[in-house]
Amino acid sequence: MVLMFPCPTAAFAISRDQASGSSRPPDRVRMSDPVATPPPDERQQADARLVRRIAEGDKNALAELYDRFSRPLYATALRVVQDPAEAQDVVHDAFVTLWEKAASFEATRGSAFSWAVTLVRNRAIDRVRMRRRRAELLTASAPSDLGYDESNTGPGADDTASLGDEARAVRAAVAALPPDQKRALELAFFSGLTQQQIAEKLAEPLGTVKARIRRALLKLRDTVARRL
Amino acid sequence: MIDERTEDLAALYALDLLEGAELASFESALAGDPALAHLVGELRSSSTALAYTAPVVAPPADLRRRVLASIDAQLAAEPEDARILRPSFSVFRTLLPWAAAACFALTAAWFGQLYLSARSEAGLLRDTQALTELSLKSAQTQLEAERILARRQYADQEKIVVETRAQVTQRDTQLAALAERVTSLSAQLKSEGDLAQLKITALASMLKNSPQALAVAVWSPEKQEGILRAEKLPALASDQDYQLWVVDPQYKDPVDGGVFTVDPQTGEARLKFKGKQPIKEIAAYAITLERKGGVAKSAGPFLLLGK
Repeated sequence: MVLMFPCPTAAFAISRDQASGSSRPPDRVRMSDPVATPPPDERQQADARLVRRIAEGDKNALAELYDRFSRPLYATALRVVQDPAEAQDVVHDAFVTLWEKAASFEATRGSAFSWAVTLVRNRAIDRVRMRRRRAELLTASAPSDLGYDESNTGPGADDTASLGDEARAVRAAVAALPPDQKRALELAFFSGLTQQQIAEKLAEPLGTVKARIRRALLKLRDTVARRL
Repeated sequence: MIDERTEDLAALYALDLLEGAELASFESALAGDPALAHLVGELRSSSTALAYTAPVVAPPADLRRRVLASIDAQLAAEPEDARILRPSFSVFRTLLPWAAAACFALTAAWFGQLYLSARSEAGLLRDTQALTELSLKSAQTQLEAERILARRQYADQEKIVVETRAQVTQRDTQLAALAERVTSLSAQLKSEGDLAQLKITALASMLKNSPQALAVAVWSPEKQEGILRAEKLPALASDQDYQLWVVDPQYKDPVDGGVFTVDPQTGEARLKFKGKQPIKEIAAYAITLERKGGVAKSAGPFLLLGK
């Protein structure tokens, strides 16, 4: 029986077989290195090995994983919380959690990168929602734009030259989505809004928004899932 | 085969957008459906790829030092034994039975969570029912308030109608008074018009023994009647009357205006007269002395004459 847990750390629980896996030294490849990007499977295996070393208490492995993941994780946190100081706190907390929970990572349930992104995104969204609740309490009503500025995508939006193959592939796949699906998916991932709030923001029926998110995510899966 | 609705839920679950009863229901379905669990895994992995679409921005160099410092602090705080016991793969082998027990415990906890979710859902439904009843009561209260308001408005309108009616009656009375006034003024105007039409003629004495005798005749052509007033006429014998004659050119003979006597003391007389025939134009008046009762055609001399 396969059990799924809402907690991101539980969702990536490590298996016993993998725990006893090889002790091959990890590949020292940065995700953002456009030249030396290894094939996805190889990169994922390298990430998983690093996580296993972290589970054994290897601080150097954590430093290496930080070097591989910190750019996209920080960019994600910044996109969600839209505040550099808060984004740094989110990434810091996520890596500390990763250090503490590395033993629960299970590579068969997803990549180490997906796990790390989930950790960062959940923390960032928690902060955004807490901030929004505080604002609601202060104003006694929800702010009309629900506090998410889509236009504020931060610096370096076109900095594709420094991206790896995976990042370029994902960006191309997302850019190829129909605009309404793209907007719904980005709001669902980055805004921290609920389904209902996304529907209100897009001024569309909830059913339409759900269908757009599903179609967009399925297309993204078909296009890039195997690369990640 | 996973239907579209379930795919919708799987996509939302992968993005952590399911909540409450929907989340509990989906997780229940997920637990018994490996295909659905596989789809969720794929979608979650795909959704995390969106991290690459965020604008590329390098974290500050200090963040790396901060993360590693936190790890150092944790390591320093851990006792040596605990560091040895930090999850390692060899330890996992020896702790297998404990891990199995933990899995069972987790499973039990998860089912417990499901039970609690179901209970929570039932609570939510009860709350929803209570809210619905509250809404119904609120609607009834609002309806009653609107009914009272409508009744008040109706009473106010009725009061306005009564007041309006009273005003209309008052206006009618005023209009009637005004009409009466108009009638009165019209009559007055008419009367004044009549006065303007009156023909007044003074008659002078032709008598040698009473040269101061005088008479005035006033004639209304519209009413075809007039008044004669005389003074200082000589007293009459008992078998005599003065007779008034109206000279109208349309007739060959003067028209009889009637007879009258005088007060023997003052010589005054007053006669309201009408012509025996319709009078169109009065050329002159004449008064003669006739036998008692008058005559149809005068043969005597004129005592007073006025033109």
